[in-house]
Amino acid sequence: MRPAVPLALLLALALAVPLAAQQSDEPDEERTTIGGYGEVHFQNASGPDTPGVVNVARFVVFLSHQFNERLAFRSELEVEDTKVEGGSPGGEVALEQIYLDYMLSPAFTLRAGLVLPPVGILNETHEPPTFNGVERPAFDHDVIPSTWRDIGVGAVGTIPGSSGLSYRVYLLNGLLASGFTADEGIRSGRQEGREASFANPSVTGRLEWARPGLRIGGSFWYGGSANQDPALGTGTFDNAVALVSADARYETGPFSFRGVVANISIADADAINAAFGGQVGSRIAGGYLEGAYNVLSAVAPASSQRLDAFLRHERYNTQAGVPDGVTRDDALARRITTIGLTYKPVYNVVFKGDYQLRRNKAGIGEDQLFNLGVGYQF
Amino acid sequence: MLVLALFTRAAPLAAQAAPANKVAASVARIWGGGVTLDSVRVDSVEVLRVSKGGSLLGFAQVRNVKGKERPITYLVAIDTTGATRDIDILVYREPQGGEVANEAWRKQFRGKTAGDRLQVGKDIRNISGATISSNSVTRGVRQALAQLAAWRAAGTLR
Repeated sequence: MRPAVPLALLLALALAVPLAAQQSDEPDEERTTIGGYGEVHFQNASGPDTPGVVNVARFVVFLSHQFNERLAFRSELEVEDTKVEGGSPGGEVALEQIYLDYMLSPAFTLRAGLVLPPVGILNETHEPPTFNGVERPAFDHDVIPSTWRDIGVGAVGTIPGSSGLSYRVYLLNGLLASGFTADEGIRSGRQEGREASFANPSVTGRLEWARPGLRIGGSFWYGGSANQDPALGTGTFDNAVALVSADARYETGPFSFRGVVANISIADADAINAAFGGQVGSRIAGGYLEGAYNVLSAVAPASSQRLDAFLRHERYNTQAGVPDGVTRDDALARRITTIGLTYKPVYNVVFKGDYQLRRNKAGIGEDQLFNLGVGYQF
Repeated sequence: MLVLALFTRAAPLAAQAAPANKVAASVARIWGGGVTLDSVRVDSVEVLRVSKGGSLLGFAQVRNVKGKERPITYLVAIDTTGATRDIDILVYREPQGGEVANEAWRKQFRGKTAGDRLQVGKDIRNISGATISSNSVTRGVRQALAQLAAWRAAGTLR
């Protein structure tokens, strides 16, 4: 037992020296932070033989660590639909983000890892208290394929001088044309960082301007999708997919509004269809507009809680343009109207209820959905 | 270039404390030049007394509040009546939500006292997409004003 005392002394000294030298540093327990969000849903669709469905849609843990003043790790780990079980469909355990940030200045942070393309509003900011409606907008599923994530490097920052401008720009892995479909566009072309083919990198970026009450953003994504398939092309940007999107969020008094539009052009959609037998559109386009009014501001002005009544209208078509050989399917020209209530006792806890009318130009397979949900973020 | 950037270490960003030069610059911006700062301790918390030519102009306090994951270091300056002269974000450590440091948002606090509501969505406008930072800083300023007002009322801060 004799060495115990000198050892303890040495340890104490070793610990004391860096502590004294780093007086301005944070305590160790504040360097690692845990956050998260989650949502539980109830959904009942109209029509015969459609019993209600309840589901723990998402349980997400954010884990981050600050190694020093500049270097940080951030991650988002998600469990969808409660569990994943062998032999039964559904459920997902997924890393949605895992990256390192090296902050050189507020204007320039280098980022590398699995990140979210900065496209639209919801892809990057999807915590349940940040959007109205139990389900995410269908536009953010079928047009912008949220949650879209991929591996790469880039930079983020705010442009100095109180301009309110900020940017994100990344070089990321790209899409695979083999996954494109008529009804969900590029969605199943995502590789999500899982033993992915790096044949076609992409570039994506966003510029934002924020003022109190207002945030306006413009985004782009450009990349090839041929995956060196001889039928499609072996060039880096063969079968190029080009996405442009604009969005705005505005809050004033009890009112809040948001809107997003996007246009996706798929070059050589005819070649993609010839190779994989699909009916992929050459252009995917649409958007939504949403307005909300905080009812409590009228009935209980002293309350710090919110009860937003909202109306959202989505219009999009995953065959807004079709290549030769594809007959446009009017059922893909979708119009979804959602009306509902969002109750927030505090700004990061939410109770939701809404009613959705899902219509399309062909009038085929239309239905109504009744949704209830609870969600949180911290 | 990337490798070069990784090994180029400029002056370190302070963690929870704000660098003295940032505090001095903030006070000079808010009160103008030529002011004298003396540090006093109230309930073992540091408060800066701001005076000019021997007459007291007000007080400033540097505090931290947790943003999404990291502390935000901010300064609250009040005049002798307890009204907020201005606030400043001294160190913002997260890559997003830094718009709370912009004057367009900060200026909403000018003139606010401990008796004001200071609630995002009511008398303070939110910044869409920076909701957590907006709420955190607002809560932090509310706490600072309440504490400074309590010390002033008790006569422990003069």
